[in-house]
Amino acid sequence: MVVYSFFIFDRHCECIYIRQWLNTASSAAQPLSRPVTASSAATVATSVAEKPTSGSRLSIAEQAKLVFGVIFSLRNMVKKLCGPEDSFLCYRTGHYKLHYYETLSSLRFVMLTDIRTESLKSSLHQIYVNLYVEYGKADIRAQHAKHVQLKFTKMSVVVVKNPLSPVEHAGGEGVNNELFELGIDSFVRTID
Amino acid sequence: MSSTSRARLGEEVWKLRTDKINAELVTLTYGSVVAQLCKDLDGDYAEVNKQLDKMGYNIGLRLIEDFLAKSNMQQKCANFRDTADVISKVGFKMFLNITPTIANWSSDNKQFSLLFDENPLADFVELPDDGKAQSELWYSNMLCGVIRGALEMVQMSVDAHFVSDVLRGNDTTEMRINLIRYIEDEMPQDDE
Repeated sequence: MVVYSFFIFDRHCECIYIRQWLNTASSAAQPLSRPVTASSAATVATSVAEKPTSGSRLSIAEQAKLVFGVIFSLRNMVKKLCGPEDSFLCYRTGHYKLHYYETLSSLRFVMLTDIRTESLKSSLHQIYVNLYVEYGKADIRAQHAKHVQLKFTKMSVVVVKNPLSPVEHAGGEGVNNELFELGIDSFVRTID
Repeated sequence: MSSTSRARLGEEVWKLRTDKINAELVTLTYGSVVAQLCKDLDGDYAEVNKQLDKMGYNIGLRLIEDFLAKSNMQQKCANFRDTADVISKVGFKMFLNITPTIANWSSDNKQFSLLFDENPLADFVELPDDGKAQSELWYSNMLCGVIRGALEMVQMSVDAHFVSDVLRGNDTTEMRINLIRYIEDEMPQDDE
């Protein structure tokens, strides 16, 4: 399985987190040397790799806007057609597959992968529960201890439970932290 | 989801997925917060109520994510009666191990009361004997803010306030919750 990119949108329809991996031929997703996040997206837009799907050069920030437009319309269309209980899970084109998960608090998680990937609904839910809200897994925590010299390796807070993180994540503030980056990285490797 | 399965869910989350701390520690910590507020605000109990509500509101905004992650709820409540049921049987159970009774529905199903048979925040508490506190201070007012904040994140604007408290010598502790409106999905900003 190849993961191309990952986005989180908040209830204000703002993109609060972007992560893109290079589209390499190997099956393992290779992270960019420097992760791209919403706050820094504007400045690094020109150096970002081209869109994996079409080959046309779109900045990651523009991609995020397009992705949001698509999921927002699709989601509303599905709700109009089948009632408010229904939600769409993914769609695929000839070249990629888009997976979607929305929490009741209107956080939207989107992951773009290759077309052979099975449904990632539960994986996206796991990212929300274990990475966005808190670290539930000790082994991920242990990995951090190896990666970074953290004084508080037992600190089980990332975004929501981090007392320093704001409630609203304007410009990706609070989500853009090292623990979350590393958590997403190792999680993407496990779903490979 | 039926009412009994919600009760079971609340029980399960409390038993398996909640980090527990000593109840007396909670009681004493909350007590010192309130006592300090009363001291800082020089016995202006209306202001103390307001500050407690505000603290609770900020807790609620974050607590909802923890609630959704732990309870694994992914379907919206069909109506406000369901919401009340979830608040009592899952929410309060999960975080405080109590299940307040739901009562006194208004005829339009937009207002109800939570009756607290037990209130862990108010154990060992006596209100100050200054002639004012008994009639002005709502000791557990933080809970109102928590509910207001948490429901706001799942698109319900509510008003919550206490109408009676055993600490004041009333027979019951009753919180009144009033649905003001459902909040619409936010639309993305038009940037063209």
